[in-house]
Parts: sequence; structure tokens; C-alpha cells
Amino acid sequence: MSAKNTHYCDVLVIGAGLAANRSAIEAAQAGLSVIILSLVPPRRSHSTAAQGGMQASLGNVAMGKGDNPQIHFEDTVKGSDWGCDQEVAKMFCETVPSMIRQLDSWGVPWNRVTAGKKKYASGIETEDTKEKEGLITARDFGGTAKWRCCYTSDGTGHTVVFVVDTVVCKLNIPVHDRVEAISLIHDGVTCYGCVARDLRNGELNVYLAKSTIIGTGGAGRIYAASTNAVICEGTGGAIALKTGLVPLGNMEAIQFHPTGMPPVYILMTEGARGDGGYLLDKNMHRFMPDYEPKKKELASRDVVSRRMVQHIRAGFGVDSKYSTQQHLWLDIRHLGQKWVWTNLREIANIAMNFNGVDPAKELVPVIPTQHYTMGGVRTNKDGAAYGLKGLFAMGEAACWDLHGFNRLGGNSLAETVTAGYICGKQVAKYTLGATQDFNMKVVEDAVKFEEENINNLISGKNGKENVYDIRTAMGTTMMEHVHIFRTGKALEQGVAKLQELYKRSLKIGLRSSGQGANPELALAIKMPGQVRTALCVAYGALMRTESRGSHFREDFPKRDDANWLKRTLAYWKEGADLPTLDYEPVATPLLPPGDRGYGEASAGPVKK
Amino acid sequence: MGRQITISCFRFNPNIPGDKPRMQDYKLEEYEGMTLFIALNDIREKLDPTLVFDFVCRAAICGSCAMLINGRPRLACKTMTRNLPSHFTVMPLPVFKLIGDLSVDTGKWFRDLQMRTEAWIHTTKKFDFNALEVRMDNKIAEEIYEPERCVECGCCVACCITANIRDDFMGATGINRVCRFIIDPRDERADAEYFEVVGDEGGTFGCVGLMACDDMCPMELPLQENLAFVRRKMAGAGLKLTFPGIKL
Amino acid sequence: MELAKNLNASVNKSFGKTDLLVDLAQSISGVILIGFLWMHMLFVATIVVSPELFDALSEGLDKYYLAQFGIPATILVIIIHIFLAGRRAPLRLRDLRITYRMASLMKHYDTWVWVGQVITALGVGIMASMHLWTILTHWPLRAATSAARVASNGPADITWGSFTFPYYVVFYVIFLIFGEYHGGFGLYRILVKWGWWERHTMGWVLKGITVIIVVLGLTALYTFTKIAANPALGGAIH
Ligand SMILES: Cc1cc2nc3c(=O)[nH]c(=O)nc-3n(C[C@H](O)[C@H](O)[C@H](O)COP(=O)(O)OP(=O)(O)OC[C@H]3O[C@@H](n4cnc5c(N)ncnc54)[C@H](O)[C@@H]3O)c2cc1C
Ligand code: HEM
Ligand code: HEM
Ligand code: SF4
Ligand code: F3S
Ligand code: FES
Repeated sequence: MSAKNTHYCDVLVIGAGLAANRSAIEAAQAGLSVIILSLVPPRRSHSTAAQGGMQASLGNVAMGKGDNPQIHFEDTVKGSDWGCDQEVAKMFCETVPSMIRQLDSWGVPWNRVTAGKKKYASGIETEDTKEKEGLITARDFGGTAKWRCCYTSDGTGHTVVFVVDTVVCKLNIPVHDRVEAISLIHDGVTCYGCVARDLRNGELNVYLAKSTIIGTGGAGRIYAASTNAVICEGTGGAIALKTGLVPLGNMEAIQFHPTGMPPVYILMTEGARGDGGYLLDKNMHRFMPDYEPKKKELASRDVVSRRMVQHIRAGFGVDSKYSTQQHLWLDIRHLGQKWVWTNLREIANIAMNFNGVDPAKELVPVIPTQHYTMGGVRTNKDGAAYGLKGLFAMGEAACWDLHGFNRLGGNSLAETVTAGYICGKQVAKYTLGATQDFNMKVVEDAVKFEEENINNLISGKNGKENVYDIRTAMGTTMMEHVHIFRTGKALEQGVAKLQELYKRSLKIGLRSSGQGANPELALAIKMPGQVRTALCVAYGALMRTESRGSHFREDFPKRDDANWLKRTLAYWKEGADLPTLDYEPVATPLLPPGDRGYGEASAGPVKK
Repeated sequence: MGRQITISCFRFNPNIPGDKPRMQDYKLEEYEGMTLFIALNDIREKLDPTLVFDFVCRAAICGSCAMLINGRPRLACKTMTRNLPSHFTVMPLPVFKLIGDLSVDTGKWFRDLQMRTEAWIHTTKKFDFNALEVRMDNKIAEEIYEPERCVECGCCVACCITANIRDDFMGATGINRVCRFIIDPRDERADAEYFEVVGDEGGTFGCVGLMACDDMCPMELPLQENLAFVRRKMAGAGLKLTFPGIKL
Repeated sequence: MELAKNLNASVNKSFGKTDLLVDLAQSISGVILIGFLWMHMLFVATIVVSPELFDALSEGLDKYYLAQFGIPATILVIIIHIFLAGRRAPLRLRDLRITYRMASLMKHYDTWVWVGQVITALGVGIMASMHLWTILTHWPLRAATSAARVASNGPADITWGSFTFPYYVVFYVIFLIFGEYHGGFGLYRILVKWGWWERHTMGWVLKGITVIIVVLGLTALYTFTKIAANPALGGAIH
């Protein structure tokens, strides 16, 4: 049997988030035929959830005066704890201002500079001049020397996604939504495209293209608690990993955001602290200045998250009414009713809707929560994946390596469009010069393989394991063993548990019939891939015996540039139950390793 | 111990031959902070793995999870079960094509809408990579953001009788979308051009003023205001077209 | 939606302008009718002051040919209105079913009000025809004839002892309420659609006006029955 439909195009884009859509625009503008696949309509992609903003050194706002790409670059490298690719970071910082302006010309209603003296809730007083009035303004975000986070009120991701999608509509690029790529088709050298399942009716279709772009976003959902959308399951990385040829880079580098709101772990944007919010403990004490006198609540995310957990461990956590996990408080009451309900309306609504709390009057419970996957499909600086010709990756799904071991807030949204532009151009260039013969035997085999797998899942031929049990166990294992503070022992146990789960995931059998748009089947198909991804994170973390950025080993608390100035590459060999790790050096040609300047190096134990 | 709740859920999967629309009851124990997102996922994981529904962000920002909850369109993810009676119904949104159970095809509908209203900035300016952005008053930026906040959840379409009985009516969201471009100075379209895309019964003059949209938009967009704005604007444009001499 | 777009694009681009004009005309006919109704009720309510005033007014209207012109004009507007507004009513069985189902499911106030408007439209249509028929066949309009109409005109009057139930008044009470409901909320809808005011406040203002008009109407009806029952005031029947 073969696939229901076979679609041909020049460029196949898997994903319809910002990175994917932006690259699709680049390819389409080069005259190539493009098809976009997505689990959900483009505007529902998780990029819409970004509230805070996008970093770009426009230097319009008074507090951003004198900003330039070089300062942005230094912030990014320091943020990454020297783990990033500096050439990529430089190229990124130089391009991103034009990207913001292009988005403006496409219709993003960026907030603008208004002239006059201002007193911010945080106590800072500035004056914006007439000369800059009407230009794009910026707000403060963690880990930066200047205010450079461009925003549209509380819905930056939303407006940028919508506007980029208007261009996709204008160019009439076909989007096949509710379609899930379930495996890549390749002949060992070149990527042909993918096998995809239509989530409307369960049919398998084949997409063949000269170039395939993975822009499938993060993998946060391998953790039980994450700020990510429920579709951020890392499928793009997982199907690349499964080829055995393409490595995932730096998967152990997972960012935890300081302010996820229990019980559903929805993100309270960093803007809340950027605008002057405090973190309080159970004694209503503002504790961050004790640890980080300079940057306080606005040290980089990894630092703030660790300080929070450290503070909870020291006995200052607040008992939660929802779970056994303690939390801390976010306090933005002093910003005032008006500020909170206009400039921070989205989070005010979230606190209200999901916790019944009005943040202008009450405290909001917060706890560090999985937030971002720095790692992903390893690519070169053109966005071309290692290991297979014609395969590209960008956005959160990729390890282009702008973020190294810690991403700066606002750098990721900026990365998606910038990578989409820079790498999209390279994809176009590659595709225009490429010819492709598709070996149809390879294609048919790939479909047959997936079909057989689906039949086995439905019939329960390989076993009767419950897919939801496995997912839950994976999520809690990651929470318990591979979280903010990591130790060799816990990681070893975690890896062992995940290996066990991996074996079980190969024996899943459905409880339902699997017919039509069956959700159980959809999850069962990707479950082994998710556990493989989780194993790359856990095993990578176990082997990296240093602390860098958000990867923090209690048994190796210092950064170790002598041995570990390198990038993890995780491969999955056929039949294995662990990834094979390889390493490549990280070059630091522009900014040699040094102190991050967050005061962390000098941080002592908790002050009482 | 939480309350015992019963959810009557619409079930029908058009892809399964012989399947018939029906209501099915599920009993659950409620717990602190339970949203319909949690409840429906619990049902799927523990009681019935075939149940089809859509959630993406579970934070009321992506618009995926709209459904009729006790008859009213709402975002399921931000609906707390404690605000509902102990027995309530959930049904898929009308108007949109049913995919299965609670899931409907809003994606295609909204894409058609974008194409039909040409919902993108129309400009003759070429973007210059080296130039500064065009200045804009911050007030205008904020004004554009107001209608732009629509998450395309489809609630305003589902609750509108006009949209229910007229296939070509674009609903409040469609008119609101055009409103967003009308106030954007970067879009160079003349009123007459906007008239072409909303100045008919499929658009602004099809609205009867039922105001269910205004009452039920989960983003609380000021739809009455925006709809009236477009109607007046388009009436002006249309009259000018009809009576070329007229000054308005 | 795609089909509709193609049709619009290929068959007739200026379809759009027709839609605007028709919609405008509908609203204008509505405004004229509600304006007429309210004025009409004020005129009729003059009976409360005195039958003489009522008579003087209607004589005046006749004298300056206002009635002769006004009545046909109103009838014309009503006919136009029925054609224009009627096209918005759910007419097909399928539409009726959907309308009823959605309205019951959502329990949404404004939607139910609209359903009520469509239903009362039917009643107003029938009753207005009857009303106009009886008035035009019993010309001229004077307090006495009106009182006779309001208080009797039934096939047989029902009598309890000395009290005679004014049969036809029931018709008028229903007519009054239906007409006011349909028109009052109609005006609300027009204002909402063209929208200068916040609709909830405006809704209350309009409801206030409506209640005043209904009370006026009821008082007038009561006065008519009194006149009818009292020969000294010109009552013609008993
Ligand atoms: C709550 C939250 C707030 C954030 N705030 C900020 C911020 O303020 N600033 C900032 O810079 N960054 C922020 N981030 C990070 C940033 O939003 C994301 O990293 C970024 O949007 C990722 O974009 P993307 O295009 O790579 O992927 P996404 O936008 O996640 O898109 C992924 C796409 O891939 C599709 N897809 C996935 N799997 C498949 C498959 N198998 N087949 C087909 N399609 C598939 C999905 O349908 C989707 O369209 C935030 C993140 C979160 C979670
Ligand atoms: C035979 C009698 C009538 C019929 C069948 C009728 C029918 C209707 C219908 C179906 C509507 C709804 C239109 C819509 O929703 O857009 C409507 C609206 C309206 N009607 Fe009538 N009607 C009648 C008589 C009247 C009378 C006598 C008045 C005056 C008092 C009146 C005043 C209005 C008004 C003000 C509106 C609102 C118009 C708009 O929204 O644009 N109607 N009518
Ligand atoms: C243009 C023609 C009309 C004329 C000349 C007219 C005249 C009258 C007169 C003289 C009366 C007093 C009672 C009677 O004599 O029957 C009356 C009552 C009434 N009319 Fe009309 N009418 C006209 C049209 C309408 C229309 C279109 C409506 C509907 C909306 C209407 C609604 C009523 C009502 C509700 C009453 C009862 C009055 C009350 O409650 O006091 N009339 N009309
Ligand atoms: S206008 Fe409101 S109800 Fe309508 S689609 Fe947009 S957000 Fe949803
Ligand atoms: S409910 Fe429908 S009729 Fe108009 S006012 Fe809203 S779009
Ligand atoms: S899941 Fe995104 S709005 Fe409900």
C-alpha cells in the first residue's frame, strides 16, 4: 500500500511558527514552490504566546541610548555562558534591527517612543526627546546592558505571528494545517521530505521536496510542568534524530523561567519584573537583592531560577494550596492598577482567569518552570542540518547556536525571524541550485514502515503498554532527575528510568480503535521519539561534568572552559536505547570566556 | 474531597463509518483549580481515549479551544469547572466544519477570511533594509493593537445567528479584522477598496446587530464599537461611490 | 465563502452598493415607523386630556390633508419595511430551526430579543392591516367612533352582571405591546449597529421610553372604554 496523497514542492516547511513561516516567505519570494505543514493553524503556533518582546539594538528609548549590535552581541555571549556560536550571534545581532523594521513595514504595531519625562514604577527616571518620538521603543529585559526589548503592549508574539502570517497569506503559500510530520524520508545522503499524518482523518500522506525545513518549536512537554503549549513536544527534533544521521545539539541546555504560575504553569512574562516587579518569600521579604545586588530580579533567567530554588530550599518557600511543591510570590502591586491592567494586561488576565488573583491588588504565586530548549537539530550557520543534505532547521527546534547554554529573554522571538530570513535565503539558494531524483522505493518503504507501525499500535501486536502512563512517567522523571539543580547520582537514576520507559514505549498498544482523527494514536506514534529526546537531555546532562548557563551540576558547580568549551552532539543509532554522544569545540574568536557579570561567581551562601 | 461533576459531551466522529451524533456523560471528581482543559484531558487519559478536542496554549491566548459550554461559546482552557453547575454540557462550535467530537475546523475558515478580506498591509512602498522605521504616534500603535488582539477563536461567529444561517457572512471577527487595517496608516487602501471587501451583506451590511459577539468574545474586544465604526466608514464610502458628487 | 467571493467578483461588483442601500433603507424605514408610532401614540393619548382635544387634532389633520397624505404614506413605508426587513428574518425551515436551537442553547438576551422582534413583526403585520381596515372603513376619525371601536366591535359582548367586558380592547392591548416591543427594540438595534452610544446604557434609555409609551397607550385605552360606557361623554354603544 502507499500513501493517500503525494505532494511535491521545492521547499517543504514543517511547522508554521515564526521561524518556519518567516523562512517560507523567503523561499516563496525567491520564486520557489513552498508547502507549509503544521499541527495547528499558523496563528495558533506557540510563538503567539510570547508576551514580552524581541531584542534589537535600535537604541531609540532613552534607557537604550548608545545601544548597538556589538553590545547586544556581548550580552548574548555572556548570557550563553560562552556556549554560543559567536559568528552566528554576531550575524544575528547585526541583522535583527532591520528585521524589526521590516516587521513594522508589514504591520506590527510596535509601541513607540513618546517624548517627555517619565518615572517608571521601578523608580527609574528618564526623559525621551522629541527627536526620537514615534520611533520604536523598548523595555527592559533580564541580562541586558541596555533596554532593547521591542514590544507591542502585552502581545508581541501574537502581533508578530499574525503579521508574518498575513504575508504568508498575501504570497498565497499553501498551509496544510492539522498535519503532523511523523518521519523524515531520506536515502542516507539526502532528505526527501516527510511522511505526514492528516489529523483531520488519520490518513498518511507523503510530501516530497528538494529542501525540507524543520521549524517545529521547542520540546518543553517532555517535562510534566512547562510553560510551553501542549504541542511543544519536540517532534521535529525527534524525527531528525531517528534518521540516525542527524544529531541534536546541546539538548541538556534547558531553560527554566523564574515565573511560571502554578497550578497550570502559565508564564508570567519577564516584563512583569522588567517593569519593576519584585520577588517575595514567605516572610514578604524581597530576597533577590541579597543574592544579586546589582541585577536583582533582572539577572539572567538561569541565575534567578537557581536563586529562587535555593531560597526555597533554605526554608523560605510558601506552601502551595495546589500541590506539595512550594512557591514564591511575584509582587507587582506597587506598579498600580492602571499600569498593570494596560501594560501588563495579558498577565493580569492570566492571573485572574487561572488563579482568581488580581495582581494589581494581590500576590501571584510563581515557581521556576521549564521554558525553553536551547538545544535542537544541530545546524551550521546557514541553517543546514548536520548529516543530511537538503535538511534545514530553524527557530527553537534548531541548535543554530545563538543561545549556547542560556538564552536571553527576547532573543528567541528575535532569532525566529532573523534565522528565518538568513537561513531562508540560504535554503532558497540551495534549492535553486539543486536537482532531486526521488528513489520511489525509499519513499514507499518509509510509508510502509509507518503504516505497519500504526497497525501494530492498533492491534497491540508489540504489547499493551498505556501511552498516557508512559508520558506521565517521563514527565515526572524529568522533573525529579533533570531539573534546575542536577547531580550525577540523580541523573544516573533518571537515565535508567528513561531507558526503561523507552523500552516500554516500543510496546505501546492502543485502548481505542485508532480510527479517524484519533488522539491516542497521534500520541502513541510519537511517544518513543519523545522518550529518545528526553534521554538526549538526561544523558547529555549526566555526561557534562561542569556547570554552564542553565545546566547546573551541584557536584560540578563551576564552569570548566578547559574541558567543556564544547557542544554536545547526540546521535541515535538504530536499535540503541541510549544516544551516542559526540562533541565539537565551541570557538570564541570574538569574545573570550570571562565573568558573566551577574555577581554569581562571587555569590556566597544564603544570607539570613 | 472535591465535588462530583458530570460532563455531558457531544460525540460524533464523521470519519468512523456508522458513527452517530450523541451525548455521552462522563463523571469526574473535581479538584482545586480544575479547568476544562484539565477535566477533558483527564477524561481522555483515564476514561475515554477516543475523545477528540483541541488545546494548544492552555492559557487563553491561541484561540484553539473554543466550544459551547452549557450552550455558550467559551474558551475551555480558561473556564474553571468550579464556576459551572455540577452537571454541564460541552458541544462543538456550530458554523465551522466538524472534525470530530469537540474539534472543529477553524483553520480553513479563517484562512479563507484572510484571503477574502485581503487582510494584509497594502502598500506601494518598498522596504529599505537600511532606512529607519516610519514614525508613528504611539497612540495609533495602541489603537491598532486593540482589534489586532482577536485570537480567531470563532466564538463570535458561532454565537451569531446571522453567521449560522448565512454561509457567506464573515462574522464580527472578519469585520473587526478589516477595522484593524482601516486604522493602520501603513495600509494605503482607499475606503473604496475596503468597501469592495466588506461593503456587502457578506460583511458589514449583513450584520443585524445581534450583539452576541460583543457579549461573548473571550478577549473582550469592543466589537460593537469596531463593527459600528466599519459600518459608518463603509456607508460613507459606498454613498460616495453611488453619488459621486456627494461630500461626506 | 470561496464561492460567494467568486460570484461577487465575477457576476457583479456593484452588488455591494445595493447591499448598502438596502440596509440603509431598512434602517430608515424602521426609524420612520418608530417615529410614526411614537407620534401616533402621543396623538391618541390626547384622549386622556379630553375628547375635544382629540377631535380637534384629528379634524386639523383632515383639514390640512395631513391624514389623507399621511395614511397612504405610512402604509407605503410599512410595505417597504416588510420587504426590506423581512429578508433578514429566518424564513427557511432550516434557518428557523437553527435560530431556535442556538437561541435556546445560548440564552443570550439580545438574541432572544431579536427572535421576539421577528415574532412580533408577524403579529404587528396582521394586526396593523386589521387596524387600518377598521379605521378606513369607519371614516372620519373622532373620539366617539374610536371609543366605539376600542370598547366593542366584538361578535358578542361578554357581560357579568352590570359589567360589560370591552371585547376589542384586548386586541389593542396586544397590538400596543407588540408594536412597541418590535419598534422599540428595532430602534435599539439600529442605534447599536450604527453605534455612537454604549449599548447597555442606551438599552435602558429606550426601555424607559417604551414603558412610558405603553403606559400612555394603556391609559388612552382605558379612557376610550370609559367614554364608550358613558353616553354623556358621547359613548355610542350602551
Ligand atoms: C510562554 C512563553 C513566552 C515566551 N516569551 C518570549 C518572549 O517574550 N520573547 C522571546 O524572545 N521569546 C519568548 N518565548 C520563546 C519563543 O516564543 C519561542 O521560542 C519561539 O516562539 C519559537 O518559535 P518557533 O517558530 O521555533 O516555534 P513555534 O512557534 O513553537 O512553532 C512550531 C510550529 O511547528 C509546528 N509543528 C510542531 N511539530 C510538528 C510536526 N510534527 N509536524 C508539523 N508541524 C509541526 C507547530 O504546529 C507550530 O506551527 C516564549 C516562550 C513561551 C513558552
Ligand atoms: C408588518 C409589519 C412588520 C414586519 C413584518 C416587520 C418586520 C421586521 C423585521 C423582520 C425586522 C428585523 C430586521 C433586522 O433584524 O434587520 C424589523 C426591524 C425593524 N422594524 Fe419592523 N416590521 C413590521 C412593522 C414594523 C412597524 C410597524 C414598525 C414601527 C413601529 C417597525 C419598526 C422596526 C424597526 C425600527 C426595525 C429595526 C430596523 C433595523 O434594524 O434596521 N416594524 N421589522
Ligand atoms: C396611519 C394610519 C393609522 C391611523 C390613522 C391610526 C389611528 C388610530 C386611532 C384613531 C386610534 C385610536 C383607536 C381607534 O380609533 O381604533 C389608534 C389606536 C392604535 N393604533 Fe393606530 N393608526 C394608524 C396606524 C397604526 C399603526 C401602523 C400601528 C402599529 C404599530 C398602530 C398602532 C395603534 C395602537 C397600538 C393603538 C391603540 C392605542 C392605545 O393603546 O391607546 N396604528 N390608531
Ligand atoms: S473577535 Fe473575539 S470572539 Fe471573535 S474570533 Fe476574535 S477573539 Fe474570538
Ligand atoms: S452577533 Fe452577529 S449579527 Fe452582528 S452584531 Fe454580532 S455579528
Ligand atoms: S488552548 Fe489556547 S486558547 Fe485555550
